[in-house]
Amino acid sequence: MTSVKRALPPAITVLLLIAGWQLYTTLSGIDTWLLPSPSDILTAAADQREALARHTLATAELTLYGFGAGVATGLFVAVVLHLLPGVRVAIYPLLVISQNVPTIAIAPLLVVWLGFGIAPKLVVIILVCFFPVAVATLDGLGRSDALIADYMLMSGANRRQLFTKLQWPHALPTMFSGLKIAATYSVLGAIIAEWLGSDKGIGQYMIIQKSAFRADRLFVAIAIVVILALVVFGLVVLLEKLTVKGRRRD
Amino acid sequence: MTEALKVTGLSHSFGDLEVLKDLDITVQKGEFVSIVGPSGSGKSTLFHLVGGVHTPTAGAIEINGQKAKRGLIGYMPQQPALMPWRTIEKNVVLAQEIKGKADIAAAREWLSKVGLDGFADKYPHQLSGGMQQRVAFLRALLSDQELLCLDEPFSALDAMTRLEMHRWLLDIWEANRRAVLFVTHNIEEALLLSDTVYVFSSRPATVIEKVTVPFGRPRRDDVVDDPDFVKLRRRLTDLLTGSPR
Ligand SMILES: Nc1ncnc2c1ncn2[C@@H]1O[C@H](COP(=O)(O)OP(=O)(O)OP(=O)(O)O)[C@@H](O)[C@H]1O
Ligand SMILES: [Mg+2]
Repeated sequence: MTSVKRALPPAITVLLLIAGWQLYTTLSGIDTWLLPSPSDILTAAADQREALARHTLATAELTLYGFGAGVATGLFVAVVLHLLPGVRVAIYPLLVISQNVPTIAIAPLLVVWLGFGIAPKLVVIILVCFFPVAVATLDGLGRSDALIADYMLMSGANRRQLFTKLQWPHALPTMFSGLKIAATYSVLGAIIAEWLGSDKGIGQYMIIQKSAFRADRLFVAIAIVVILALVVFGLVVLLEKLTVKGRRRD
Repeated sequence: MTEALKVTGLSHSFGDLEVLKDLDITVQKGEFVSIVGPSGSGKSTLFHLVGGVHTPTAGAIEINGQKAKRGLIGYMPQQPALMPWRTIEKNVVLAQEIKGKADIAAAREWLSKVGLDGFADKYPHQLSGGMQQRVAFLRALLSDQELLCLDEPFSALDAMTRLEMHRWLLDIWEANRRAVLFVTHNIEEALLLSDTVYVFSSRPATVIEKVTVPFGRPRRDDVVDDPDFVKLRRRLTDLLTGSPR
């Protein structure tokens, strides 16, 4: 009930914006190729629905594979760096610095190395996704309750039990905040990857429509990207609700 | 007969900070022993040494004839230290789980014995402080160790609840005799519950007095009004506060 109440004001804001936009484009008579009206965009979406469905499916698939691989990489890095403090001090600072390298800048290099198949695209998404997951998880693993740790040690717990029963469950909420960031990044990564060269996907569709000056279709593509990002984000939130238990929700 | 706990010549320092100095403490099987001492004297540190998370600078600790190491005591920490993501019954069986097999059925039975039926599936944040301490106590009790180490279990409670918990602890202990080492700031509490009371000095902690409590069992709360009890309490209070007799 309350979530409906909270969703109402922003929904009204969006409706007002769209109405204002429609009004402006109609009254000013601005060219459609420059700024299409909302109704132009809806028409474009309807005209293109078959092509759009195909491209959306392709991008969704790429996003999910990339997101999965990125999360797996991030968790693996976090666990390894957590369990091996020696490796951690040697690698963690480099990892942070490496984030200053824009993915867009190395993407062409990936194409040179890995060709035009799915491999370079997955690597792009992994590169943008793994870092927030790794950092958030590592942080959560390292900040578990020292009092509970003492209790467990005095009760005879070994390192494996300390990890599985204390550190990992403790890290779950922090891990999920990393996952939420990565969820949004993953769609962005997929679009960039498709710009690099692809025969399908919303990213490739955008490149073509840009050359054709079809702003209306570009708007449709942007809307789809936003919706995709929201869906992946929603999936993560759902998973969080199912796994993170027993904390005060405030 | 081997003692449940035998501490001889125990000293411990954290770097330059001398915390414990030449302690001798014995807990017989089935005996209830208390330690009273000023805040910061090193009582919790003693438990950490007995529990094997620190290695003493000098001296020896034996638990049931075995050199102290991790996993030999049932421990109740100063703060309940429950896992917020585990239900109450899952928290209660944590020590058992670490040792091998968790007995959920027994945990549920005990939860109802201590007035927490209906809370087995709740989470720690849904319980009051006193309830959380009962859970931490059960977790120690159900670890099935011969020696229970309880670190100021009732310090966070108001006087009323504390009285209730004393009654409750004595009942459980009289029905399940274990060796208990109990830390408190509260002299009356120590005398009411224990067979033997050790009084610690301030840091570095030494034993300044070992008192054998002369009251029988089962013990009733009104023992605190006994003239001998009052005298003993006066003497220990003077010892702890350092005022002349
Ligand atoms: N791991 C540690 N490293 C360094 N110093 C410590 C450590 N643990 C405890 N100390 C120090 O040892 C002293 C004794 O601490 P301890 O917790 O044993 O006191 P306590 O008698 O339990 O006090 P309280 O009654 O307030 O609980 C304190 O000065 C504390 O700062
Ligand atoms: Mg203490």
